[in-house]
Amino acid sequence: MTGVCNSGMLYTFAPIHPIFMKYRPVLLKVLLMALVPLVTFAQDGSKIKFGKISKEDFKVQLPEKDSGAHALVIAEIGSSEFETDADGFRLVYKVHRRIKILDKNAYDLATIRIGLYKEGSDEERIQGLKGISYNLENGEVVETKMETSNIFTDKQDKNHVYKKFALPAVKEGTIIEYTFSILSPYYRNLRSWDFQGTYPRLWSEYKVSVPEYFDYVQIPQGYGKFFIEEKKVGRTNMTFLSRNGAGPSQMGTATPTVYNWRWVMKDVPALKEEDFITTLDNYVRRIEFQLSAINYPNEPSKPIRTTWNALMTALQKDENFSEAINNNNGFLADVTDNLVKNAKTDTEKAMAIYRWVRDNYTCNEHGSMWASHSLKSVFNTKNGNVAEINLLLIAMLKRAKLEAYPVILSTRDNGLVYPYYPLLTRFNYTLASVVLDSAITSLDASDPLLGFGKLHPGCYNGDGRMVNADAYIIPYAADSLREQKFTSVSLGKLEKGEWKGSFQQRPTYFESYGIREKVKEKGPKEFFKNYQQKFSAWDMEMQNENINDLKELESPVMVQFEFTLKPGEEDVLYLNPLFSEITKQNIFKSAERNFPVEMPAVFDEVYSFNMEVPDGYEVDEIPKSGIVKFNEDEGVFEYLIQHSGNMIQMRCRVRLTKATFAPEDYTDLRSFFDIVVNKQAEQIVLKKKK
Amino acid sequence: MKFLQLTVALILTAARIPVLAGDPVYPVSAIPDSLKKEAHLVKRLDERTLQVTSLKEMRMVSHIFITVLDEEGAAAAGMVERYDKQTEIKSISGALYDADGKLIKRLKQSDLRDVSQQGDGSLMTDSRYKIHRFYHNVYPYTVEYEVEVKLNNSFLFPRWTPRDEKHCTVQEARLTVNTPADFKFRYHTFCYPGQPVVREDKGQKSYSWEVRNLPVYKEEYYSLEGYKLTPTVWLAPDAFRLDDYEGNMNTWKGLSLFAYTLNAGRDELPDNIKQKVHQLTDNLPGNDAKIAALYKYLQQNYRYISIQLGIGGLQTFDARTTAAKGYGDCKALSNFMMAMLKEAGIPSSCAWVKSGEGQTDVQEDFPVDRFDHVILCIPGAKDTTWLECTSNTLPSGYLSGFTAGRQVLLLDEKGSGLVRTPVYGMASNQQHRTISATLDENGNMKADALTVRTGMEQDDLHEVLHALNKEKQLERMRSELDIASYDIVSYDCEETLSRNPSIAEHIVLNCKGYATVTGKRIFVTPNVLNRSIPKLTNDSARISPLRFRYEFLHSDTVKITIPDGYKLESLPAATELTTKFGSYSASTTLSGNTVTYIRRMERKAGTFPVAAYEDLVKFYSAINKSDRARLVMLKM
Repeated sequence: MTGVCNSGMLYTFAPIHPIFMKYRPVLLKVLLMALVPLVTFAQDGSKIKFGKISKEDFKVQLPEKDSGAHALVIAEIGSSEFETDADGFRLVYKVHRRIKILDKNAYDLATIRIGLYKEGSDEERIQGLKGISYNLENGEVVETKMETSNIFTDKQDKNHVYKKFALPAVKEGTIIEYTFSILSPYYRNLRSWDFQGTYPRLWSEYKVSVPEYFDYVQIPQGYGKFFIEEKKVGRTNMTFLSRNGAGPSQMGTATPTVYNWRWVMKDVPALKEEDFITTLDNYVRRIEFQLSAINYPNEPSKPIRTTWNALMTALQKDENFSEAINNNNGFLADVTDNLVKNAKTDTEKAMAIYRWVRDNYTCNEHGSMWASHSLKSVFNTKNGNVAEINLLLIAMLKRAKLEAYPVILSTRDNGLVYPYYPLLTRFNYTLASVVLDSAITSLDASDPLLGFGKLHPGCYNGDGRMVNADAYIIPYAADSLREQKFTSVSLGKLEKGEWKGSFQQRPTYFESYGIREKVKEKGPKEFFKNYQQKFSAWDMEMQNENINDLKELESPVMVQFEFTLKPGEEDVLYLNPLFSEITKQNIFKSAERNFPVEMPAVFDEVYSFNMEVPDGYEVDEIPKSGIVKFNEDEGVFEYLIQHSGNMIQMRCRVRLTKATFAPEDYTDLRSFFDIVVNKQAEQIVLKKKK
Repeated sequence: MKFLQLTVALILTAARIPVLAGDPVYPVSAIPDSLKKEAHLVKRLDERTLQVTSLKEMRMVSHIFITVLDEEGAAAAGMVERYDKQTEIKSISGALYDADGKLIKRLKQSDLRDVSQQGDGSLMTDSRYKIHRFYHNVYPYTVEYEVEVKLNNSFLFPRWTPRDEKHCTVQEARLTVNTPADFKFRYHTFCYPGQPVVREDKGQKSYSWEVRNLPVYKEEYYSLEGYKLTPTVWLAPDAFRLDDYEGNMNTWKGLSLFAYTLNAGRDELPDNIKQKVHQLTDNLPGNDAKIAALYKYLQQNYRYISIQLGIGGLQTFDARTTAAKGYGDCKALSNFMMAMLKEAGIPSSCAWVKSGEGQTDVQEDFPVDRFDHVILCIPGAKDTTWLECTSNTLPSGYLSGFTAGRQVLLLDEKGSGLVRTPVYGMASNQQHRTISATLDENGNMKADALTVRTGMEQDDLHEVLHALNKEKQLERMRSELDIASYDIVSYDCEETLSRNPSIAEHIVLNCKGYATVTGKRIFVTPNVLNRSIPKLTNDSARISPLRFRYEFLHSDTVKITIPDGYKLESLPAATELTTKFGSYSASTTLSGNTVTYIRRMERKAGTFPVAAYEDLVKFYSAINKSDRARLVMLKM
């Protein structure tokens, strides 16, 4: 999340929330004046020095398993350390990267954007930016330096600035190298480091030096062992400027203990995208940091968020989170009172308020746990991020004397929440929850297509946390999403070459959400076209098409239509009883799998079909019934069909019992779906009676 | 690739609508029902006034009232205004009204967002944007924006297309151009019956166009460009000024001379590159070999990076700068290549072009700058060589569908005006495939397919081969092949670079359950890989003539060996279709236990009247059905 993004060397802005920025080292009586370099590190292991390169360095080879990669990161070395200046502590994050461009498709690695954040006079600055390209020409290394006039500054908006540059003379086979430092006053935001990314890396190293004044918790994730992992203790000089009231300033120095960590990974393979994965980001080898205590001299250590309960209690009082919902919020009185005046039960009250907020507010940012505008401003401007809208909902629920709390979570595309340490940076979403009949109902008013008590599938990504003193875990697991999709088709009489039938389908709630979205975007005509196109090899006409419950956002929709098939005057009729519901392709396409299969919900689809054998025809052949199990009890595929009298009835069900499967299960899962695909392709064969 | 972006900024002006306190502003009740049909937005008034003051200055005022009928229309009702060194925003105001036309609130200047252009692949551009939106969710409601923009030139005249959003109807729209009486400019209209109203008063001339009650506009398959299907006015000056440059675009020659002058004298190479040019070309016989060698050098040593700075983004970096950086945009790379060719004694010229497959923005009788890209033209004794200098991979002399087959503006000192890039026709755009396959009793099939594509038929695959590594190529293929379940046993492509490039693709597939086995029958679709013609549905409300941008020829020969012990029960009927759009034939035969399927399709390029769509529906639906036809074998 923070610092260097793994793909394409694109620097993203650290999601520095105001909570990190409002902090000033007020506890520190001494303020700093001169810069004293911290510890200098010996580059053992990696001998790379900026600007020093030889012919031999061009001989690097791609590891075999990454053959075909467009670029190879020869080395990347990052460090974060503390300095002091007139304004207090600041973090110096330095990056040095050397990459061999193997083909044209990695040219974009030579165009670099570095994001910087500023707020008022506090701003991140860049220092020591240098870049060189090296080419081997006639057996000699030719270097081309980037001129500083080619560095552009792009002020994206009032808080975000990009430094952008393109390295010169880049071709296939060029080695590019660049280095820069970001000086940041936001020292709570000690940047994380990705040891792995889109391109293979021969050497990835991160060093972090922290003076005794700060404690950071380290949060590792991903697979793979460190080649070097060490911690050394040293001392450094830091100079401060102290002010005592209105008196003259004084220089002071301190010699704090400094903890120096160093992590190195060697020969890290490229990360590869796979289907059915919540986010690849969950599997990136990475270290993140969270400030856990400030230990200024002569003061008791000040813990920062150590337990979930303490963290949630602090969050309740945070002005950038839910502080405002505890106020009286008189400006909400009229509208809230008006909404609930006819409600008889708490549930009716909550529903009325929920629907009003959902239908009157526009969400302008879906990935945010924090509020950046006041409750009143959100109320008046009618738009806000997801947190702001749901906090407004909570405030109104509370005004209506209901028990309501925020719940924070991380969405699927944002990755998993680290379970072992209370860490806010991993969260990116705030929901509302309300206690009704002593049960907790989760609400999200940021999405106009969601019903009361319903959440977007992206929210089902493990545990959420309730923001109150109890810090309850609210589980949102994909494995808990068990809903059945039910489809039923019946075929009536075949008369005058026309075969009439009816279709009825109740998709799952999430599929219904997708249908609502599609109908909203393209209209119902386009939606039904989908069915029409894949329905049958015969010409098909659709009548009385209808989507029930489209506006009943609490329930799934019901899709219905009648149809007429025109099979023609054939002697033999071949009929696939699944029509549009056939699984035409195996959803698992790759032959191999490295990561777990993470489906968005538990798969369960039932299909039922019945038909009359048309007059003048007889059944020549029908598919055989069969049942196939997956891993004993983790899935089942039933295909049951019978022919009695002039009726054929068929029922087909594909069901898995969970949403997440280990990589070892992949081959079997793929074979299981192969069976489904093959079986569902089978035909009923009818012959004209002689 | 864009070097110039001239979206019609909300240009508004004109007389302010006099609004008395308490008078409702465009109440929803005043919208006729016909304008609500299928609409999410109704433009109540779209009033744009362009005031030409002098060659150095124009002002555009846009005054717009839009009613948002429902949530689907909300996103399009905001304001986005681009500005740069040529385009200054003088003022922005706005207001929000409820359904009854009562003022809810006014735009606050502090609510305007000011952002730079991001994420379009540019390293740097002068363009920035002012953005605003009223977040209001009680539908319907009406927003009003008034924006005044000062343009420091007389080159970039706006285009006017009042119905510019899908699901948007227009109640009233007006474009007015006010100029000094002696100022000369031209206009060109599409779907606009009649002439502008012209008035003259006190040395000022005024032209105005007006439309009322436009219904919604829908996207259609194989349609003409959007602006040709809805009332549109293009404007262009005769004499104009841009920065310190003056010109006259009354003729293509004039525009060509201006563009040439703007970019002339920027082709001086540094000495090391001059030496390189001689080293590469002095010993080569003939210009073609020299061009190819220099193009290859360009492709291997220089890369495309978009930088849109300076005079309207129209003037190239000089060749020395490009040499030093090793990168440039389309202007800079074409200019640099031109400089190298000049050093080798080969004259060439840059050409401005509207890029994109099938783009035809040039109206021959209306000279105006609607271009967005630059390519290089090298006249030769026999034929002309064209180079796309932003590509690191295309063969010398092949433009691809991106810029082929259209009129482009040649930049030379003679002012040559428009010339044509080569058209790649049916002789060039072909796909020939042969498949030999063996089916087993369980329906599994092993297929060996060789596909040779040439011309524009290979453009996509060319991109894929050069943009993706093998692993990603396979991944893409997995998502594209229309086969139930399969593994790719082997996959190779061999590319032949020439003026009509070709790629031979060899795939071996193991298709699991390709044929359906039901008891004693086997069902096989003999057309294994070419089933991409869509099933179309009739559209009686269609408004656009049909347009196919390019022509192609496909041929497929498939031989499938079926297991012993089966006899034929039913064979797909042979299909043979000949239409004005092209022809199609498919036949399946069985001989011994080998099924032979032969398919051939030719699709012509061209424009056909609206009524022809029904014939196309028949043609494509028949192909769609024939492509999916199955053969049924019965166990003996």
